[in-house]
Amino acid sequence: MRKLYFLLLIAILATAALSWPRFLNFFYCKPDLLLIFAVALVFYEDLKTALFFGIIAGLVKDVFLPQNFGINALCFSVWIYGAYRLSRQISTKESYVRLGIIFAAALLNNLALGLNVVVAGNIVPAGIFLRNLIITAVYTTLLSPVILKLTDLIAL
Amino acid sequence: MFKLPRRTLIYSVLAACAVLLAANSLSCFKNSTQKAFKPQLSLIGMLKHEFSGIIFYHRNMLLAERAQNDIDVLRLKLFDLREVALENERLNNVLGFKQKSPLRLIVARVIARSPESWNSSLIINKGRNNGIRPGMAVITPRGLVGSIIESADNTSKVLLINDPNQGISSIVQRSRQEGLVNGTLGTNLVMRYLPDDASIASGDMVVTSELSQVYPKGILIGRVMNVGREFSGLNRYALIKPAVDLSNIEEVLVIIP
Repeated sequence: MRKLYFLLLIAILATAALSWPRFLNFFYCKPDLLLIFAVALVFYEDLKTALFFGIIAGLVKDVFLPQNFGINALCFSVWIYGAYRLSRQISTKESYVRLGIIFAAALLNNLALGLNVVVAGNIVPAGIFLRNLIITAVYTTLLSPVILKLTDLIAL
Repeated sequence: MFKLPRRTLIYSVLAACAVLLAANSLSCFKNSTQKAFKPQLSLIGMLKHEFSGIIFYHRNMLLAERAQNDIDVLRLKLFDLREVALENERLNNVLGFKQKSPLRLIVARVIARSPESWNSSLIINKGRNNGIRPGMAVITPRGLVGSIIESADNTSKVLLINDPNQGISSIVQRSRQEGLVNGTLGTNLVMRYLPDDASIASGDMVVTSELSQVYPKGILIGRVMNVGREFSGLNRYALIKPAVDLSNIEEVLVIIP
């Protein structure tokens, strides 16, 4: 039943991300709701479950992107594993530690996606690159308490 | 039964009339009596006023609440009607363009946008079942929007012209100067590979060229905002403001070749 709820949450978050209203964009940036969910799973579930649902969330996001199918599924699994390894070293009970981990994951995810665009030979002005890198990560972190709470409710 | 003699009754009435006449003619009596009654009369008047005020206030309050509810419902209806009117206007515009245009067009509605900021794409509500295939151009009556890159049975993915992966062979309408328009993920596009002596200036219109295999010739892309020199110094570039507000598209037209 819990797994079904996780799948339902992925569907809800994907729908929200796809139909994110323009007036909620912050400097033309939108938060990565599915990334928050994927990383949040590490705090409430075991590694296998987190990886399973994290990869599903990544694939759902990839389906709606124009290019590079699978890049988010790959990145999400890496960030989940990294967060898991980190949670073995430090305590992740405090909410600010969790927010810090989500911020780092969002920053790294944006860096990976941004570099992927640049390495493909496309021109992205430095200002837009930095805007997408930093503001998206900050916005994602600011919205993460809501999704952490939802994931926590389902995981309980 | 209590019974007064007739004479006594007449005397009593006459005496009372005499007292009343005397009292009426004596202003000091009238004044003092009125003065004595004034406080309690004022108090009763005030209480009556307040009491009726409370009754009216309550009635008015109920009326105001009902009126406010009506206003809210009407405002909601008005908002819906305004939305319908705007949609009607947009669809009329699209329909008018479709009827006038020599191109074969399919009207589609935007149902989703890219979930991240590193690319710029749309999902529309028409797909293979409607004859849409990858590589078709997508426009609005105002100008170029992008191209279809994927089509499922009932939906299609549109790569917008401000995506960095998008490259459009284009020409400056005035001077016929050729160049390649790329997206930058920002609000403006950049026209590259312009020679040093290119005839291009702010305000020029840029349209698709016949060299493009995806886009028909002559579709408006945007207007030149600024012309600069590339870092290498070999070429010039031009910043172009798209003719279509790419962040605010609700209906598009897919060109069937």
